[in-house]
Amino acid sequence: MTTRIIAISVLLFLPLPIVIVVLSSFTSAGYLSFPIKGLSLRWYGEFLGSADWLRVLGTSALLAFIGATVSTAASFAAAWAVVRHRIRFGATYETILLTPLIFPHAAIGVIMIVTLSSVGWLGTFTGLVLVHCILTIPYAYRPVAAALRKADPALEEAAASLGARPWRTFWQVSLPAVRPGLVTSLLFSFIISFDEVTVTMFLVGPFVMTLPVQVFSEVLESASPVIAAVSATLVLFTTVMVFLLDRVIGIQFFVERD
Amino acid sequence: MPKSLRTALLLAPSALLMGVFLVGLYRLVHSSLVIDGQFDFSQYSAILNRPDYIAMLGRTIRIAALTTLLSLVIGFPTAYYVARYGGNRNFLLLLIVFPWLVSIVVRSYGWVVILGPRGLINGLLIWGGLTDRPIKLMYNDFGVILGLVHVLCPFMIIAILSVLMQISRSLEEASMSLGGRPAYSFRTVLLPLSLPGILTGITLVYLMATGAIVTPLLLGGLGDTMLGTEIFQEVMHFFDYPKAAALATVLLITALAVVIPIQILEHWVARCLSDGADQ
Repeated sequence: MTTRIIAISVLLFLPLPIVIVVLSSFTSAGYLSFPIKGLSLRWYGEFLGSADWLRVLGTSALLAFIGATVSTAASFAAAWAVVRHRIRFGATYETILLTPLIFPHAAIGVIMIVTLSSVGWLGTFTGLVLVHCILTIPYAYRPVAAALRKADPALEEAAASLGARPWRTFWQVSLPAVRPGLVTSLLFSFIISFDEVTVTMFLVGPFVMTLPVQVFSEVLESASPVIAAVSATLVLFTTVMVFLLDRVIGIQFFVERD
Repeated sequence: MPKSLRTALLLAPSALLMGVFLVGLYRLVHSSLVIDGQFDFSQYSAILNRPDYIAMLGRTIRIAALTTLLSLVIGFPTAYYVARYGGNRNFLLLLIVFPWLVSIVVRSYGWVVILGPRGLINGLLIWGGLTDRPIKLMYNDFGVILGLVHVLCPFMIIAILSVLMQISRSLEEASMSLGGRPAYSFRTVLLPLSLPGILTGITLVYLMATGAIVTPLLLGGLGDTMLGTEIFQEVMHFFDYPKAAALATVLLITALAVVIPIQILEHWVARCLSDGADQ
């Protein structure tokens, strides 16, 4: 009984602040206050009419897209070597790929400042892409490696023995077999990159800024409801990604162990 | 192309990325210890000699430990309930996974909107005539811990849930039908079997709480710094990179001193459990 009460409260508690942010973004007042003064879309107008906000949104989307693509491709290649070539120390290599997960974000932020400034990439888009690839590899690796383990190598051997060239076998046999895993890796690392803030805020500069970091600095400085509208847009992106992930692989994916 | 060369080419991109990270880690520790080519411990002795930094370190560990404990206390029953839920379990999973994937900035900002001086709770209290002046619900430890528990407990729930989903309910029922009381079954069957998930959850939550910046900065008081927020201030406002590097190394030690023993314990528990399953 106690379990049930705690569980239901927690399940209501988790989405609560997100729901409140989305609801408060529709206020018509010049500042956030409760009860909400009236409904309007004026803060969405302000957000979408601002060249600054739109540029930052574009940067974040492009960064997440490139980061997710690169780290999924790198993870796929690594998984192929570990699973299909059965390299020695494969399990150790997989553990190394997960190391960014066991470091506190504030420390990773300083590590990346040291790294990027030594090659002059601090405050550049290229630098952010590099860092987001490192941060998303642990998330990209697991789904694609799991898919590769499930796929049957005999199919590839069959295609090869029927005379298919290696590239044709890859495109028409291997790739379709792991497609759900690849799409999951892409979507998962896209979300992680798009929402990342703690490490990224050490690395942005006057020439490059991401949406979550911009939201963070605005919350520190002002109380304008435009932040609520931008936050609601971030929530919308996540909603779309979670919906797609659920369609591609199912929500149980997150609580499965391989 | 020989197979070994193909293997090397396949591993190259990920190895390069991890190499950048590990070299950066080495340079971080190096830059905090070696200044102008000379071994120099002064960064650390300067930190250890400042009572305010020692207090900040204690505060960071205290808040991280409390956040981890609270996440476990509310996370375990939630995971148990969801794992044993007979109805539409995917909907409950959605209620956990969706908030977990929403940016921590948005979630922390949500708490500012709820707890702030002109926020939801104070608005309702004033509107209802229960108080005429806003109550201070954030800019203190309460706000920081509430925000951190909210942001991090999904990690705990998901880690425990992934273990509980594998433990067959029949084991528990067998224990009860053999006369084990619920509390006894819990202690002797459920708890040991779910220990690997609990340890993973503790690791992740403690790790992220010690290195948190966003939530403590948005919900914490002005003077109440934590290691993460202090590092951020040193870098952003004072451009003191050697000090930031030393503080980041202290943060690494603070986190890994807890995380590595737990990881070893987790491997040991996992081995005991699999040995038990074989017999």
